[in-house]
Amino acid sequence: MKRGGFWGWFWVLFATAYFLLPLIGAFTFSLEMRRGVLSFIAYERAFADPEFWRTFLYSNEMALMTIVASVALLVPTVFWVHLRLPRWRPVVEFITLMPFVIPAIILAFGIIKVYKSPLVIGGFTILQAPTNSVAGTNVLLVAGYTVLAMPYMYRAVDAGLRAIDVRTLTEAAQSLGASWFTIIVRVILPNLRAALLSGALLTFAIVVGELTLASFLDRPAFGPYLFLLGQHRAYEPAALSIVSFGLTWVAMGLIYLATRGRPGPGQVGGAH
Amino acid sequence: MAFLDLIHLKKAFGVRPGSLPSETPHLRRVSATYAVDDFNLEIERGELVSFLGPSGCGKTTTLRIVAGFEQPTTGKVILDGADITNVPPSKRNVGMVFQAYALFPNMTVGDNVGFGMRVSKKPKEEIQQRVKEMLGLIKMPELENRYPYQLSGGQQQRVALARALAIKPQVLLLDEPLSALDAKIRVELRYEIRRIQQELGITTIYVTHDQEEALALSDRVVVMSAGHMEQVGKPWEIYNYPTTEFVAGFVGTLNQLRSRVVDAPTGELDYHGQHFKVSGELPPGETVVAMLRPEQLRMGVHEGENQLTGKLISLAFLGAIVRMGVELGEAIVTLDALNERRLALPKIGEPLTISFPPHAAWVMAAG
Repeated sequence: MKRGGFWGWFWVLFATAYFLLPLIGAFTFSLEMRRGVLSFIAYERAFADPEFWRTFLYSNEMALMTIVASVALLVPTVFWVHLRLPRWRPVVEFITLMPFVIPAIILAFGIIKVYKSPLVIGGFTILQAPTNSVAGTNVLLVAGYTVLAMPYMYRAVDAGLRAIDVRTLTEAAQSLGASWFTIIVRVILPNLRAALLSGALLTFAIVVGELTLASFLDRPAFGPYLFLLGQHRAYEPAALSIVSFGLTWVAMGLIYLATRGRPGPGQVGGAH
Repeated sequence: MAFLDLIHLKKAFGVRPGSLPSETPHLRRVSATYAVDDFNLEIERGELVSFLGPSGCGKTTTLRIVAGFEQPTTGKVILDGADITNVPPSKRNVGMVFQAYALFPNMTVGDNVGFGMRVSKKPKEEIQQRVKEMLGLIKMPELENRYPYQLSGGQQQRVALARALAIKPQVLLLDEPLSALDAKIRVELRYEIRRIQQELGITTIYVTHDQEEALALSDRVVVMSAGHMEQVGKPWEIYNYPTTEFVAGFVGTLNQLRSRVVDAPTGELDYHGQHFKVSGELPPGETVVAMLRPEQLRMGVHEGENQLTGKLISLAFLGAIVRMGVELGEAIVTLDALNERRLALPKIGEPLTISFPPHAAWVMAAG
């Protein structure tokens, strides 16, 4: 059979151009800071700004914490839904889709409204208002990011669990004396490696570029920094966009490296 | 008291365990939905008992109750004198082998086999020694560092068996362990399982829907149907002396001739105008069903035996035996002739007389 053909190649080239041309445009633009010469000055200036490093590192820290929180929240939840509550799957799926429907600004206002006051029971202050401290606000930010990343992380974990025989693996581990904690940590999590890496990558990308929550909670994150930079400068934001894109590709490459050469968990050898 | 005692086990899905008293009108009303209905069995130490039956008969549910993955609605599981009915599966010390192998894909063969011992925090040297011992038992010592995906189905199931045995369980449970394998490996592995079970003297419950497997492997067979125990006995008892029509029909091939009683004291019956005799007492009624195994029928006329004549309508050469279908009244009677080189086979469409001694047939009341 003839492979490809004119239209096949046409659509491949069209899609490639559609994807790459804006990137090439942004990259070229980022090199044109000095008139008439192509240079990396925009990159040098962007990297020389201590605010860049501060916000970038802060957002990276928040992203890591969000990934940990998302995994800790969603893996046991989705595992339990698969194992014991399969009828609840549509409900849980619906809940995880809520961040697509409710704008981030509503979430931000909701968080501020609920957590701006201390927790007082019977006249005693049990918990100070989280928004009154840096640590408390950071926790609120991670909680908000966890909600925003939930649709992606949930689907990644769900897809990973669908690919393995959760019930049988769990029962096999139970019959060997394993506790629920051991089952999740030593049997389920290692077999979700690729799925979790995908979810983590998406979470990372969302958190590093997120603007609304970080702005309203007044935290020094990379999203607001990039926004402010874009309002005052032209070339540096383009340079940083290219850097962000490069980081995403590096992360995807790492996922590929971590998962290559192994068959899917459901794959078994021949019956011989 | 037996080593493993299953007492009045009942399992109704959708009903909370213990929520129904054992004798109430309410219970009787829902009894039609029981997956397991009043299952009673005593299993001795070192015995291999098979649960045999068609899909949905409750055999796997009963096994899962023993494993602790299902809670019985009523009834008890007593293991070595201790009531383990409410003990979680992880605390039962019961090894289980699944149809789908269930090896942990992220672990090597050695790690899979040693998993149970690592979970119970056994010393490293002891784990290594036990893993080697188990891999030797399943004759796969060289595959310790392979991953499950690098093994064939038969090898994976051997590893699953070694993993279940490594924790030195009090009882070994096998849930249709050979169903996913091809025929040749299934037969090989069946004898391997029996060898290992006898070598270790481990009490074992084996669930299967394959009658040949159950008959070949077991000390005793429990035939189940619709949640009930139909018959419990040694394999030859189940095959030669089935006590219910279901067992007679499910285990082995069976010819059933609905016949009229001509003379009850002599056991003389009439089947579509042809008379034959059976030994033993006849059940009451004018009509009975005579049961005959295909291998107990012989071609041609044999002196002193019953003879029935019909028309040969099918003939299949199966290697060791030749299976013939003989149209006889309303029934197609199956006859198995042992193959030999000089066997003269009749032609399809020709009349064929079949013979059998009176004691070869047994009789049940017509339902």
